[in-house]
Amino acid sequence: MATLHLLSRSPFADTSGASCLRLLGPGDGLLLSGDAVHALQSGSQPFDALRALPADRPCFALAEDLAARGLAVPDFVQAVDYAGFVELTLRFERTNSWL
Amino acid sequence: MQAILPRLTAMKFAIALFAPPHAPSSRRALRFAEAVLAGGHEIARLFFYQDAVHLASSLPVSAQDELDLPAAWRAFVQDHQLDAVVCIAAALRRGVLNDEEAQRYARASHNLEAPWELSGLGQLHEAAQDADRLICFGGD
Amino acid sequence: MAKSLLLICRRSPWSGPGAREALDVALAGGAFDLPISLLFLDDGVFQLQPGQQPAAVQQKDLTANLQALPLFGVEALYVARADLERRGLSAEHLSLPVTPVEDAALAALLNQHDLVITL
Repeated sequence: MATLHLLSRSPFADTSGASCLRLLGPGDGLLLSGDAVHALQSGSQPFDALRALPADRPCFALAEDLAARGLAVPDFVQAVDYAGFVELTLRFERTNSWL
Repeated sequence: MQAILPRLTAMKFAIALFAPPHAPSSRRALRFAEAVLAGGHEIARLFFYQDAVHLASSLPVSAQDELDLPAAWRAFVQDHQLDAVVCIAAALRRGVLNDEEAQRYARASHNLEAPWELSGLGQLHEAAQDADRLICFGGD
Repeated sequence: MAKSLLLICRRSPWSGPGAREALDVALAGGAFDLPISLLFLDDGVFQLQPGQQPAAVQQKDLTANLQALPLFGVEALYVARADLERRGLSAEHLSLPVTPVEDAALAALLNQHDLVITL
């Protein structure tokens, strides 16, 4: 009974990412979209926080948002397209979007 | 990491939008909805709440070199004959009215027409209960 | 059997229609006898602050909507204790009877529900 958390705001502008990490439990997943992918900027505190997540909390990112921002895919993140996004929402029992 | 394999069973999605047309999440929601259908799944209902009700207005004018998202959404709903429900309370508050409401409130004109329908939050709940997944789009 | 829904309310009461529109989702669900729970998180905890005077900013009182929740069968109300404390609020002095939840228990609370909407 795991939850996919969907983030879309910049971790530097908004607290939803930090709050999400408080609610992220074993088996839950994290999908970064929109400006939330700025958390994958290496050398940043959000990057370190995500890299430190246990392996039972997988991290995903929407490929188009990484590309738009010129960001590389870190080795602890799986980039997905929209077909992969759909599949993730089916793999997890529920999706919690941080609006 | 494990490859994401295509699912063989068709699943039902309810998709709810909360952000205005210019928010990136509104375009993402459309791309997601397209991928749902492309993956052989079904969209039980689209529900538009809070600022997303503006997607149902027929008035916005897009620059020629810009993505016309309201038009893209309208075409998607019409092409696939989807159930596209706009929360009436949220719409009225934001000035998105169909002909009936415009007359009821003595407004000079209306800006919501088919395929969009005004209805209550009960439709969101019904879709969430009926579908296999409820996916919300909002924020940025 | 009806699917249960957890509504996570993160908006402060006077930052726009968000708080009220989240409550409307809860009340509508309750009206249809759906199992609905609310979690007040982040600035959403300010909705529970006693002594508010919404008329001072020409707004309708949200407390009436909050107090209507049990009448609509929405009785499972939770608040993130850490967010209360961060904001100088006490779980003992809130305008509504809510159950404080520790951070460590939040993930489990979500996973106990079939659906979750964070507004």
